[in-house]
Amino acid sequence: MTRQLPAIDTLVEPDRVHKSVYVDPGLFELEMDRIFGRAWIYVGHESQIPNVGDYHQALIGREAVVMVRGDDGKPHVLFNRCPHKGAKLLAQPCGNAGRFLRCPFHGWNFRCDGRLLSVPAREGYEDTRFDLRDPAFSVRRVPRQQSYRGFVFASLAEDGPSLEEFLGGIRLTLDNFCDRAPEGEVEVAGGVFRVWQRSNWKIFFENLNDTSHPMVTHESAVNAARAEYQHRGDGGQMPFQLHIIEGNGEPYDFWGALEMVAYDRGHSYMGAIFTPPTDPVSLGHQAALEAVHGPEKAHEILSVQRHNSIIYPSCAPHTSFQQLRVIRPIAVDRTLVEIYTFRLKGAPEDYFQRSITYANIVNSPSSNVMPDDIEVYARVQEGLATDGGDWVSLHREAGREQGDGNGRYTGGGLSELPMRNQFRAWAEYMGEEA
Amino acid sequence: MSATATMSPADILAAVTAFLFEEAALLDQRRWFDWLELFTPDGMYWAPLRPDQPDPINHVSLFYEDAMMREVRARRLEEKRAWSQQPQVHAARIVGNIRLGTATVPGETVVHSTFLMAESRLSLPQRLLSGFYTHRLLPRGDGFAIVEKRIDLIDSEEVHATLEAFL
Ligand code: FES
Ligand SMILES: [Fe+2]
Repeated sequence: MTRQLPAIDTLVEPDRVHKSVYVDPGLFELEMDRIFGRAWIYVGHESQIPNVGDYHQALIGREAVVMVRGDDGKPHVLFNRCPHKGAKLLAQPCGNAGRFLRCPFHGWNFRCDGRLLSVPAREGYEDTRFDLRDPAFSVRRVPRQQSYRGFVFASLAEDGPSLEEFLGGIRLTLDNFCDRAPEGEVEVAGGVFRVWQRSNWKIFFENLNDTSHPMVTHESAVNAARAEYQHRGDGGQMPFQLHIIEGNGEPYDFWGALEMVAYDRGHSYMGAIFTPPTDPVSLGHQAALEAVHGPEKAHEILSVQRHNSIIYPSCAPHTSFQQLRVIRPIAVDRTLVEIYTFRLKGAPEDYFQRSITYANIVNSPSSNVMPDDIEVYARVQEGLATDGGDWVSLHREAGREQGDGNGRYTGGGLSELPMRNQFRAWAEYMGEEA
Repeated sequence: MSATATMSPADILAAVTAFLFEEAALLDQRRWFDWLELFTPDGMYWAPLRPDQPDPINHVSLFYEDAMMREVRARRLEEKRAWSQQPQVHAARIVGNIRLGTATVPGETVVHSTFLMAESRLSLPQRLLSGFYTHRLLPRGDGFAIVEKRIDLIDSEEVHATLEAFL
């Protein structure tokens, strides 16, 4: 069945987008080809596979891949498919495959870098076109893979910008993520939350830098946290857990004082002014950084304040709570979000433990904050499917952003600049024929 | 000396069974604030993400709540603008296979049980949640108080839609 897709250049305007980008299954399939088939997509972190044979599964668009630690000590990103008859080689989200990958169907064995090692009853292949050394009989590798400070990305396109060029100005977020560790390295720790959203993946990406929603969407959680604080009634400092929830209730002025910074290719972040910490947990971390770098350099590292950076179209690091959200589109109206917490090597344990508390409060499927997000995304998805209107508005502070002529754009803290920026990238990816 | 010390195992089993059924009814009736009363002041409510998870401090949990955070959840569920509770979620659960476990803290009674729970909201397909409860109880009045309620969902490590109400 072929169906006419709307022309891409009619869907995105500088200050509005057509609803079909969220609801049209044909456009979703085209996104898989033209965006997820081209961009650098986050696969996983090298610390998730410390030993030979360790693996971690991921999705690049509709492609199931697996990142495996080879006996050369390097991570290899392979399609999760046996070259014999196609069986998926690994089924668990992560684990250890042993010294080689063994297909569960007919027992072909592969080295952890995907090369075919052996097939049973090999005589049967004599005088056939089968060749142990022919790459066609090895597990296929993704066309390109590259790591940046332990963060492994892959691209399904043979050609294109390097990872560093792709990241551009958002690269500093990953640098700062690692530099905040006294040893300059981070590792995934403490488990992963995986949550379903009943909505299009782009709705979540937009929300990551949407500062005009918290006070409205999260009213219930904010009220509950405030009431609980009153009820406890000691008038002292608000406990960390309540504070995290209550922060969503900050007024528009608070959010307006942030700075939105966007880069080409859809990346952006919310910037804040650094206020030196006063709580013992942050001070302990600061002291550990100072012990390694001295106060000046430590201050320089801590004063990079980038909340919810967006690495379009696959992940969103949050540097101050050491977490990375990974966004996997599953269908036009279904999205999988994974939330990883990282340990900063060399930082005090209670600093890591606080990021676990943060994840429990904000990112658990049982979060008091997130269900209202997920609910409003689903309502957008349902509302857009009606005939009630064709366009989605991105007008807030439209046209007021400042460009530096070098692919960096800034706007006010309440600006919808990040959304307009995402759709500019979207249209570029989507408009280009293969 | 605790009240359970003088009871026969069969009587204790009958008493904890009645307690678990009563607790399940409070939750199914969305009587959150009555349910909160069942806990000791330091009581914990914990649903680990992994069955073999050593602790709730160095690893994320599906729920890890003290009295304060349980109260926040109860309050939010009843807020007028809890958008995701429009309409409210409703649940019905069956608790069974109730067995007495081995207490490691003197005076406590440990109870293992299995639960099956259906949850419904909107016209979404009903969700089946199931797993194991472990209650650590202390005698209080005619009944018990919860020192810890641990929930091990059989699919704790899978992808979840939101879990808003208490399990
Ligand atoms: S499908 Fe893998 S060995 Fe046959
Ligand atoms: Fe939100």
